[in-house]
Amino acid sequence: MARVVSRSIMPRHPSLALAGKGIAFRLNPVTKLTLVGCALLLAFLIPGWWPPWLLFTALAGFAQINRLLTALAKKLLKIILPLAFFLFFIHGLFYHQASAPLTLAGVDLSREGLLFALQMTGRISAALAASLLFVLTTPTADLMLALSQRGTPAAITYIIGATLQLIPQLQARAAAIGDAQRARGMETDGSLLRRIRALLPLVLPLVLGSLVDVEERAIALEARAFRVKGPKSSLHELPDPQSERLLCRLALILTLATIVVVWWG
Amino acid sequence: MSPSAPPLDAHPHPAIEVVDLHFAYPHSPTAALEGISLSVAKGSFIAVLGANSSGKSTLCHALTGFIPHFYRGDFAGRVRIGGLDTTTRSLDELVQVASLVFQNPLNQISGAKFTVREEIAFGLENLGVPRAEMTRRITEVMDLVGITDLADRSPFALSGGQQQLLALAAMLVLRPQIFVLDEATSALDSAGSRRIFSLLHQLSRTGMTVVLAERKLEEIAVHCDRVLVLDQGRIILDGPPRQVLASPRLEQCHVGRTRYSRVAERALTFGGWPVDRSLPVGFQEAVAGFLHLGSKR
Repeated sequence: MARVVSRSIMPRHPSLALAGKGIAFRLNPVTKLTLVGCALLLAFLIPGWWPPWLLFTALAGFAQINRLLTALAKKLLKIILPLAFFLFFIHGLFYHQASAPLTLAGVDLSREGLLFALQMTGRISAALAASLLFVLTTPTADLMLALSQRGTPAAITYIIGATLQLIPQLQARAAAIGDAQRARGMETDGSLLRRIRALLPLVLPLVLGSLVDVEERAIALEARAFRVKGPKSSLHELPDPQSERLLCRLALILTLATIVVVWWG
Repeated sequence: MSPSAPPLDAHPHPAIEVVDLHFAYPHSPTAALEGISLSVAKGSFIAVLGANSSGKSTLCHALTGFIPHFYRGDFAGRVRIGGLDTTTRSLDELVQVASLVFQNPLNQISGAKFTVREEIAFGLENLGVPRAEMTRRITEVMDLVGITDLADRSPFALSGGQQQLLALAAMLVLRPQIFVLDEATSALDSAGSRRIFSLLHQLSRTGMTVVLAERKLEEIAVHCDRVLVLDQGRIILDGPPRQVLASPRLEQCHVGRTRYSRVAERALTFGGWPVDRSLPVGFQEAVAGFLHLGSKR
């Protein structure tokens, strides 16, 4: 008998995902992934400076509905503010000027350059907002499970999950190697040259150790029937309603139709 | 594990049959295994002893099919596990008969699962075991190994000993006919080791064949049915623990002796051990020997 595990009782794992009850949390991860893909296509393929900002406003509204606006803003602003500053600065000063420049504090700025910077900032903001909403509402385990349920090959879901989990392991090992080398008198602080010199005794054991581990890991996977052909099963099952599959198709059709109309209409 | 396992004498073929096995790793001037011949009855609990580089790990890999399928090299002879010839059958088939657990528990964690329960399920998912059956088996094996309270913890957040227990559970849940452990209790404390030895003994009594490369001689003396000693890739001793662990040849091949043998040997020098008794290998024999001497005085 199939047992459906609701997301609220799925164990939480170290990721950026927050706990919540809004619709963004309840959607199947594959549905969310499709909607993010649509948002990225719309943000980057629709010409003009305002469509990305319109999309961004819609995403901010969706975040507010799911009580995620503050969390989203905190993460987004950290990335977007310095990026926007450089975009406006560089394109304002160096973009090709077709019309009369805009003079600000005695500096001539290109109107076209500022509009381009506005468009790019909007596109990046919309893309980041969509991606962050996905990350904030989707535990990695759910994503892997959903991908697996939709027929993604086990090797691909394995690579995603293992990469996410093994990175902290590698960081821990690098820290341990660093400590060991320092304990043996190696200086890792100080001038740039000294730091560069210290890099090799840190990186080499890390890389070689990881390569040795790969062999054992491969055996461990083989021993647990990872490559055995035939149908697979899953301990958990995520809800995957037909309505969400329809939503995905509809979103894809509307996105592609909008792009076609805008470009060739 | 299954209480309904058929009696041992109902199986005409040995669980493991090795005939004149020779194996040398590529670019190695010497053979890792040479002239190994071995027949292991179903439901046996066998310990493999030997110094470093004596061939224990290589034998473990050969008994699970990873040699010659994973480790290529100069292979000769025949190995049959559960009636399957390891040279002609695919590794996919062989891993469903024999399971291998090795020393470093961290490398046995799949890395793709986020809780202990999910990690144990990994192999069952790969074999397509139905969810209800999977849940039942996971609960059973966690209870058996004693990690039920860790079920929802991340495998990476466990101690080395707990990870070792997880590695054991993750293989035991597959219910292999042959269970091979290559120094798999090294990360466990003495109580944990005792518990695992006792569990393996219990599993062997239900029909699972257990082969264990180990160094814990005291536990081997108590729980195993048979002990093999390897030296430079060859079997130099093969017999019941009582006989093999008392052999002076163990010292020669750097395996050592049980602490009871060492104590009795020391006692013998000042008349503290009866001269007419052979050295003990286990605790009870040692106690009996000392009591016997005490009663004579």
